[in-house]
Amino acid sequence: MKKIILFALAVLPVAAVSAQEAAPAASSSPAPTVSNATPATAADMEALREQVQSLTETVKALQQQVKDQQAALEKANLTGESGLPQNPEPSPIAGAEESPAPAGNAPPRFPTEDTSVVSSTTAPAASSVPGVSASPFPASGGFPTTDTSVITSTPETISSTGAGASLTQPITIGGGRNYMNISLDGLFALAYSSARDLDHIEVGDHDPQQRGFNARNVELAFDGAVDPYFEGFANIVFKLDNDNQTEVEVEEAFMQTTSLPFNLQLKAGQFFAAFGRLNPTHPHTWDFADTPLVNGLFLGPDGLRGVGAQGSWTLPLPWYSQLIFASQNGRGSTGFSFRNPGDDGMFFDRITTDREVRGLQDFVWIPRFENSFNLSDTQTVLAGASGAFGSNETGANSRTQIYGADLLYKWKSSHAEGGFPFVKWQTEFMYRRFQAGHGADDSFPVAETFHDWGLYSQVMWGFKKGWVAGIRGDYVHMQDSMFTDDLDRQSRWRLSANLTWYPTEFSKIRLQYNQDFLEENFFLSAREVESIFLQWEFILGAHGAHKF
Amino acid sequence: MLSTLITCAFTAQAKLNVVATLPDFGSLAREIGGDKVNVTVLAKPTEDSHFVDARPSFVVSLRNADALIDGGAELELGWLPPLLQNTRNPKIEIGKPGRVQASQGIHLMNVPTNVTRAAGDVHALGNPHFTVDPIIAKAIAQHIAQSFSALDPVNAAFYEGNYKKFEATINAKLQEWGTALLPFKGQHVVAYHDSWPYFAHRFGLNIDIFLEPKPGIPPSPSHLAEVIAQMRAQHIKAIIVEPFHDRRIAEKVASATGAKVVEFSQFPSGLPGTDSYVKLIDTLVSRLAAALK
Repeated sequence: MKKIILFALAVLPVAAVSAQEAAPAASSSPAPTVSNATPATAADMEALREQVQSLTETVKALQQQVKDQQAALEKANLTGESGLPQNPEPSPIAGAEESPAPAGNAPPRFPTEDTSVVSSTTAPAASSVPGVSASPFPASGGFPTTDTSVITSTPETISSTGAGASLTQPITIGGGRNYMNISLDGLFALAYSSARDLDHIEVGDHDPQQRGFNARNVELAFDGAVDPYFEGFANIVFKLDNDNQTEVEVEEAFMQTTSLPFNLQLKAGQFFAAFGRLNPTHPHTWDFADTPLVNGLFLGPDGLRGVGAQGSWTLPLPWYSQLIFASQNGRGSTGFSFRNPGDDGMFFDRITTDREVRGLQDFVWIPRFENSFNLSDTQTVLAGASGAFGSNETGANSRTQIYGADLLYKWKSSHAEGGFPFVKWQTEFMYRRFQAGHGADDSFPVAETFHDWGLYSQVMWGFKKGWVAGIRGDYVHMQDSMFTDDLDRQSRWRLSANLTWYPTEFSKIRLQYNQDFLEENFFLSAREVESIFLQWEFILGAHGAHKF
Repeated sequence: MLSTLITCAFTAQAKLNVVATLPDFGSLAREIGGDKVNVTVLAKPTEDSHFVDARPSFVVSLRNADALIDGGAELELGWLPPLLQNTRNPKIEIGKPGRVQASQGIHLMNVPTNVTRAAGDVHALGNPHFTVDPIIAKAIAQHIAQSFSALDPVNAAFYEGNYKKFEATINAKLQEWGTALLPFKGQHVVAYHDSWPYFAHRFGLNIDIFLEPKPGIPPSPSHLAEVIAQMRAQHIKAIIVEPFHDRRIAEKVASATGAKVVEFSQFPSGLPGTDSYVKLIDTLVSRLAAALK
């Protein structure tokens, strides 16, 4: 008899403890089900629930035994009955509060503090002058120290992500009622140029491409939390070509992890390579109406982007230091200096091979290392080094290497209004080694290695709220060749100046002047070109904020 | 399980690393945390908190944070989300004890019924400049105390005690502040930006005329003419500007109306000699009372 009682008494605490352990999980179950719990969590919940149930049944069976065999031992029964049903009950209440402290992983030893804190939430209300009204000056008594019109008794309702059900922080608007941000960005330009071939002078696909009106970047952007583990981004770009035909690009569409340990982050899909400052950004964030020469001519008119995967690691250092490593197919015009079959199957005068991947050497490998320091409270520097390595299509074993270095300096006033005034200086340098082979089936007589380099440097001065003036210098050196007759292989430089007015952060109007100088080479003569662009932009909807 | 224990043991000894997006939350965190926490504030007290650069160093601060206190009402919408995307710190995710969203449990004022940007820089969740109401500050301080106690149970009594102290101070100070502003009950005051509905509500003022025609839109001459006419008609005596506002515009309006320009700040240290929350409200109250006299 005694043995059974001892056994029952020994089992009960164990059951109670396991019920307690299961309780936080069970209590948080209402939240995930509301917020589309992932199958994994739902399954976990189910498993836990089953565990709790089976434990409860076991304990009940034991109780029954005790009851049957020991009618005299009412004490044991009482402790059993009061202990069991109570345990599952209080925890759902604690979980339902959704207060910041106890939610999530309420440690078992915390509840006592929790209740005291909860009671202290109501403490000010309790100690308040009775009959407190919204009016600050009651007829009698002191100045009120509580106000139920501004504070709810329990912390709930307002949170930028709704009920705080999501573990991540999506950029939301409209009370956090949307699962994602959707925005439409329209970027247009009116252009005049002394050159008739503006589409050759301007090297970027989203730059003005013809005299007159241009609509080269109408962009739908989506972003938000996929689930507690991923964020998703997509940019779909519509553009009108010079014959007003609509072209569509899946510029970016990728998912990204949010909660990997050790400061790691993975991203996979179609995305811009993290090469330098400008390449990973979208045209509407650019400080000028067109792509710098070196970006357009080395990384390509659409920037270096493609389907691939990327991992990044922020180093555990006292300053910002990040390593990024990506691999992309590098195929097609968005892998411009890499496996690009070129226009009409030609690149740098050679018939391209356009082959399938043979091995890892045919992917583009893109490492980047960036560091940032604060020079003072108002001055920030960000410096980076990037590389892009892969093969190209001009020969059987032709390879391309691009190296980049970039530097950003920004000063912003400690009394900035709307982010103004500021001064921003940005420079990018690139060197490209391009092995131009014999072309498909050895159709080109000469194999050459081009050593090309270039840079741009720009200073933007936000001198008044909404107003920015900028100057930029561009230079690209293309190694001259007696064999390769290609329009893009002309060394050239450019000076630009512009003035931008941002009525708000959702619209802008920009006037820009460009002076281009194309140098003489073996095949092409020198030219000078002057261009003027009037660019304007609008953004509708909720658009994700931009990185530094 | 083991890692939780290790984390608990570790945090029990080391100071809590607390990041506050804005200086007002930072100040409250110092009141509660005392010498048991290291507080890092991202925005500067003198800059426009709507537009703060997402400096990469902030990522480092957030990465090392045990707790993050943000407004939760979209004031930091333009710069906090990209920082958090790059931070990879699960401790400060929403729903964790390490995340305090100050607007939780607070009834935000001026929630727009129709969200349109034609109305300027309107916040969809309501006006986010709420900490300047001392009663709201108490609620935020309490949330912070809850969070710290959860993260650092060993010192829970310390945090709780500091909260009680802060609560008592505010309750006593409210009498003082309320008395100082009592003579001006119902008076209209002009502000550059609509940052003061909570302050006005608390002390029975009407801060409802703004130099900005719409939130975030710079003052236009025609709008200023209207404001001047209104100020003359209602004998308005004070114009509130913040450190980052163009004071010259306010001076012009003041000289046209005989009103005084009063420099205000939502943030401790935004004005000289206001390195704590209580000192800040002290300064705001005395400056306004002097101007309205």
